[in-house]
Amino acid sequence: MKKKLLATILSAAMVMSLLAGCGGTAASEPAAAPAEEAAATEEAAPAEEAAPAEEAAATEEAAPTEEAAATEEAAPAATAGGSGEYTGGTQFDGVTAKEAYKFPVDVKSFQSTYWQAALKGMDMAKEELGVDYDAHGPNSESDIADQVNMLNSDINSNPPGIALAACDTSSVLDSLKECADKKIPVVCFDTGVADAPEGSVVATVATDNTQAGEVAAENMYKAIKDVIAKAESPVRIGEVNQDATALNIQQRGMGFVNKMTDLIEADGKKVAVVGNEFYANEAKKAHSDLVDEASADVVIEVSVPAQTTVELCSTAAQAIMSKSDTIAIFGSNQTAAEGVLAADANLSLLGSDAAAGDVIGVGFDAGSIIKGAIEDGTMYGAVTQSPLMMGYYAIYALTMAANGDKVEDFPTAGYWYDASNMNDPTIAPNLYD
Amino acid sequence: MADAILTMEEIEKSFPGVHALDHVHFDVRRGEVHALMGENGAGKSTLMKVLTGIYTKDYGTITYEGKEVSFNNTREAQDAGIVIVHQELNMIGDLTVAQNIFIGREFMKGFKIDDKKMIEESKKLFDELKIDINPRDKMSDLTVGKQQMCEIAKAISHQAKVIIFDEPSAALTEKEIEDLFTIIRDLREKGMAIVYISHRMDEIKVITDRVTVMRDGGYVGTLITKDCTKEDIINMMVGRVIYEDPKTESKVPKDAPVVLKVEHLNAGRMVQDVSFELRKGEILGFSGLMGAGRTETARALFGADPKTSGDIYINGEKVTINSPQDAVKHGIGYLSEDRKRYGIVVQKTITENSTMATLEKYMSGIFINKSEEKKITEHYIEELATKTPSADQLVVNLSGGNQQKVVIAKWLVRDCDILIFDEPTRGIDVGAKNEIYKLMNRLASEGKSIIMISSEMTEILRMSDRIVVMCEGKKTGELDISEATQEKIMNKATRDIA
Amino acid sequence: MTKKKSIITDQRFIVLLVIIALVVIYMIFSPEFRQYSSILSMLDFSYYDILMAIGVTFPLITAGVDLSIGTGMVCYALVAGRLVRDYNCPVLVAMLICVLFGAIVGLANGTLIGVMGLPPFLATLCTCMITRGISSMVMATPWPTNKQPGGWFHSIFKLTFGTGRNALKLPVGFLVCVALVLLMEFVLNHTKFGRYTIAIGSNKEALMLSGVNVKIYHVMAYVVCGIFAGLAAIAYAAVVPTVQPGTGAGLELDAIGGVFVGGVSATGGYGSVIGTLVGVFVIVLLKTGLPYVGLQANWQQIITGIVLIGAVMIDVAKRRRMAKEQ
Repeated sequence: MKKKLLATILSAAMVMSLLAGCGGTAASEPAAAPAEEAAATEEAAPAEEAAPAEEAAATEEAAPTEEAAATEEAAPAATAGGSGEYTGGTQFDGVTAKEAYKFPVDVKSFQSTYWQAALKGMDMAKEELGVDYDAHGPNSESDIADQVNMLNSDINSNPPGIALAACDTSSVLDSLKECADKKIPVVCFDTGVADAPEGSVVATVATDNTQAGEVAAENMYKAIKDVIAKAESPVRIGEVNQDATALNIQQRGMGFVNKMTDLIEADGKKVAVVGNEFYANEAKKAHSDLVDEASADVVIEVSVPAQTTVELCSTAAQAIMSKSDTIAIFGSNQTAAEGVLAADANLSLLGSDAAAGDVIGVGFDAGSIIKGAIEDGTMYGAVTQSPLMMGYYAIYALTMAANGDKVEDFPTAGYWYDASNMNDPTIAPNLYD
Repeated sequence: MADAILTMEEIEKSFPGVHALDHVHFDVRRGEVHALMGENGAGKSTLMKVLTGIYTKDYGTITYEGKEVSFNNTREAQDAGIVIVHQELNMIGDLTVAQNIFIGREFMKGFKIDDKKMIEESKKLFDELKIDINPRDKMSDLTVGKQQMCEIAKAISHQAKVIIFDEPSAALTEKEIEDLFTIIRDLREKGMAIVYISHRMDEIKVITDRVTVMRDGGYVGTLITKDCTKEDIINMMVGRVIYEDPKTESKVPKDAPVVLKVEHLNAGRMVQDVSFELRKGEILGFSGLMGAGRTETARALFGADPKTSGDIYINGEKVTINSPQDAVKHGIGYLSEDRKRYGIVVQKTITENSTMATLEKYMSGIFINKSEEKKITEHYIEELATKTPSADQLVVNLSGGNQQKVVIAKWLVRDCDILIFDEPTRGIDVGAKNEIYKLMNRLASEGKSIIMISSEMTEILRMSDRIVVMCEGKKTGELDISEATQEKIMNKATRDIA
Repeated sequence: MTKKKSIITDQRFIVLLVIIALVVIYMIFSPEFRQYSSILSMLDFSYYDILMAIGVTFPLITAGVDLSIGTGMVCYALVAGRLVRDYNCPVLVAMLICVLFGAIVGLANGTLIGVMGLPPFLATLCTCMITRGISSMVMATPWPTNKQPGGWFHSIFKLTFGTGRNALKLPVGFLVCVALVLLMEFVLNHTKFGRYTIAIGSNKEALMLSGVNVKIYHVMAYVVCGIFAGLAAIAYAAVVPTVQPGTGAGLELDAIGGVFVGGVSATGGYGSVIGTLVGVFVIVLLKTGLPYVGLQANWQQIITGIVLIGAVMIDVAKRRRMAKEQ
C-alpha cells in the first residue's frame, strides 16, 4: 500500500514538474519574440528610414523620436487629427540611464496577450537604455489584494522606481503614499491613478480612452451613415461595456456614446441613450437634447454584464443583436468584443456592408480571434491601444525619474485598424495575439 | 476440542495506554452456540474484531479449519466463512434491502448489476427466516428491528461457517427474539458454529451450549451452559452480588402531583391519540413490541419530531413544545436509544459532552470555566462509575455502556425534572445495568419523574411504578405495578396482532 | 409495502416545471429570446456546465465536493490549446490530453481524499489553486476556430450546414450531453461503482465493514469527476473565443449549484444524473436568459441563490415527511 502511495505521489510530482517546464518555456518566450517580430516588420517595410529592428540596435537617442514620428504618420487617417496632441515623446530625446537600474513592474495580470505586448515594449526600451525590469502580476485582474501585496514587497526592496498598472485605483493609494514617503518614483501605465498622493506618481503613460472611444464612433459612423440617413424606422446601435466602474472603460464607453451622438445629431437625427443607468445618465449630462426611446431616430443601447466573462458579454451582445433594428455594435474591450463575435457565431449578422443589412461590428484591442474576424470581414474594424508603446515609454519615463529628471504625463492614442491597414508596420506590433 | 472449527489462543492486543486483550483463549465447534460474555470493556468486541481482521493481533494464533490464519480485513474473513452481525447497525440507508444484503458481492451481468436476481435471492432468504420484508424497500424506511433482521439475513447469505452475533437481541422484542432463536437452532442443526454475544442471562441459558467469560481483557473461564447457574456466570463476570429484586408495588405516594400530562398526542402513523400522566417521583414504564410507537411518542413529546395535534401540560400548565430546545427549557431530558447518532458527540471529551446542554452554567463572562466544568464531570464519573482514565478522554474511546453513562451525566448536569430513558440499558452489561437501575431509583426518590421505554420485560417489571403498553401507535393499556404480570403486558402489547 | 413514487413529489419533475415556466416567461417578455439563435447560444454555453455537473455529481453523492473543476477545466483547455498552437499537436490528441489531464487531477483529488483522508473541501481547494496557477503560466491560447484547420471539433457541439445568415445550425452537443447523462445515470444505478458511490455518501463505515475496498471507489468518484472536467474543457474551448488564463474560479459553483437544484442530497447518499441535467439547465437559463428580459446579470446570482434554497428546502421537507410517515 505504501509503495503504491509513493508511486502515486512521485508520478504526480513528475506531471507537475512537466507542466512547470511547459510554463517555463511559455514565460521565456516573449523575450525571444520581439526580435523575430521586429525582423518581420523590417521585411514588410524596407522603405522605412528607421525600422524597429534597427531601433533596437540603434543608439538610444534616435529611437524614441522616430518611433513617435512613425506612429504619427500611420495614424492620421484613423485618429482624425487627434494624433497631433501625442507628441510628448520628444521629452524622451537623448535619455540615457545613469546607472543600470532594475525596475519592478506590476502589471494587472498575465492573463491576456495585451500584457505580453506591453512587456515586449519594455524589452525594447530595456535594450536601448541598458536597464532591466522585473514583472509581477496577479492571476487575474480582479485579484486586487494580490497585486497590492506584490506592490508592497516591491516597495520594501527600495527600487529606483516602479511601473504600475493598477488593478484597482483606490486600493493602491496607501502603497503609493509610502512610495512618496520613501521617494520612490512611480510611473503608472495603462491605467492612471487619479487620486494618487502628492509626489508618488511622477508620470502616467496611458491610452487616452475618451479619444479611443471617439475613434471607434467615427469609424463606425462612416460605415452606417447612409443607412441612418435612409432609415424609415428607428435604428439601434449597441455597445457592450465590460464594467461600469473602471475609469478607463467608462471614458472609452462615454467617448463612443458622446461622439456618436454628436455625429448623428449633426446630420439632423434624434438620439436616445438607453440601457445601463450609469451610461444613460452620463449621456444626458453631456447632451441635453437627447430624447426618449420612442421618439428617437437612433437608439444607442449600452449593456454591462455583471461579470467579466465572455459568456455573459456574449449574452449581452446577443440580446442586443437579436433585435431586428440593430445596425451596429461596439464591444469596448477585448472580452466584450469577443463576446460580440461569440454571439455572432449563432446569429451570423455581422459583416462589412451595412447597406446590405449586415450589422457593423466594431471591437477593441486585439487577440487572434478579433484579428481573424477583421481579416475575414466579419468584424468591420477595431481600435487598438498601444501596449507596446505604453511599455516602451513607461521604462523611458522611469529611467528619467530615476535619473532625477522631471517627467510629464504621456498619453498614447487609440488607433483604428481594419483589414486594410492591420499589417502596417506601425499597427502590427500592437496587435498581439 | 477435537471438532473445534475455530481456535484462538494466547491472543494479545494493546492500544496506546490500554491492554485490551491479555492472553485470551477462545474456541467454537461445529454445531454449537457458544456465548461470549463479559462486562463493558471486557474485550469481547475487540476479540471479535481481531478475529475478523478489523484489528491486527499483537501476539497469538488463530486456527481455522485446521490451518493457522490471519485475516487482513472483513472481506477475507467473510470469504473464509466467518461473518459478524454487528451490534451497531451497519446498513446503508439510501440503498434498498436487497442492495444492502448483497453489497460487496453483487450479482453481475457484464457491467450491469443484476438487481433482479438480488431481489429474488433476498426473497428466498427472508422466506427461510420467515420474515416479512420487501427487498425493494429503502433501508432507511425500515424500523430498527427490521434493519437488524436484514443484517442477520445478510450474514446468513454469506454461506458462513462461523456466525458471530454481537448482541443481536438488543433491539428485538420478545417475539422477534423467539424467531431469532428458531433461526439460530436451525443453523446449529446444519452444523454451523455460532458465537453469541449478549448480556441477557436468560437468553444465554436458553440458546447456548457453552459460555466463555471475559473480564478486563483477560480470559476467565469456559463453562457448559446446562451445568451452571446464572449466578455462576454472573460471579465470573463481575465478582460481586447482583441486586435483582423486582418491584412489587408503586413507591409513589397516591397524592403525588402530576408533573406531566399528555392528551391526545398525534404524530404520524406511529403515534395515534396517546394520552398519559406522569407523577412526581414516578418511573413510568413504556412497554410494547418493536415498532409500537414508544420511541416516536417520546420524540414527539420532546419536540424532536413534528406532531400533528395534542396538548402537553407541565405542572398543570399548558406548554408548547415544538423543538428539543422548548422541551429542555421545560425541564425534559431525553436519552436516546441510538446514542451514537443522537446522544453524544463521539469525537469530543467526556467533559465537553457532559456540559454540552448546560454550557451557560459554566461560563465566566465569555470564557468557559474549565475547572468548574471538569469538577462537575468528575463528580458524575465517580457517581456513575464511568470507566475512563480521565475526564479528558474522547468519548469514542469508551465502551458502549460507558458512553451511555456520559449521556446520562449530560442530562443530570442539566438538572432536568422529567427524564425520558429510551432503552437505557441497551448494549450494557449486567453490572452496569444495576448501577443505572439504582441511579434511576435514586433519581425518582429525589423527586425526578422518569419515563422509561424498554423492550426488556424484566426491566419493565423491575423498575416501573406504572406501565403504559403500546401497540401499533396506540396506547392499549395502563397497569399499576402491583397488578402487572408478564402475561398481561404481552397480551396488551399484541392485542391487534394476529 | 412498496411506496408508490408519485411523479409530483419527484424533485426532477418540479425542476422541469421551473424550466418550462422560465422559458415561457422569457418568451413572453422578450421577442429576441424566441429566436432560434438565442436558444442555440444558450445551449452553447450550457455544455461545459452540464459536463462539469455530471462529473461533480459523483463526489457530491459521496458527501464530498470538487472545487477544482472550474479552474481545472480552463487549465486543461489552455494546456491542450497551447499544444495545438505551438507544437502542432493534432486536435484529437489535444482533446484526449484534456481528458487525461482531468483524470490525473481527479486521481490526485481522490488520493488526497479517499486514501489520505483529507477533507474534500480542503483537498480540492488546493488542486483548484494549483490548476489555476498552472493555467496562468500557460497564457492565452486559442484553439482553432471552426474555420481554421483542426476546427472540426466544434462540430461535436454544433453541426453547421451552409454558410452565412441562412446556415442551418444543429445543436448536436445537446444530444451528446443527453447521451452522457443517460450513460452516467446507468453507471450510477446499475454498476458497482455507482452503487458504492451512493453507499460511501450514505454510510461509508458500513460499506467498509461489508468488505468493499472503499478507497478505490472513493478515488474513482473523483477520477470520473476529473474526466468530465476534461470533457468540459473541450466544450469550453469550443464556445469561448479566447480561453483566459487564471480564470475559471467560480465556474464550478454554477455546476455544483445545478447539481443541488437537481436533487442531490446536500448530505450525500442520494442523487441522480438526470436530476443534475435539469438542475443545471435552471442555472443556465438564469445565467443567460435574464439579460433578455432586461434584468442585469447580477440578478442571476441573487435568483440562483433563492432557487437553490428552494431546492434544498424540498430535500429537507421530503426527508421530514418520510420520517413522519414511518
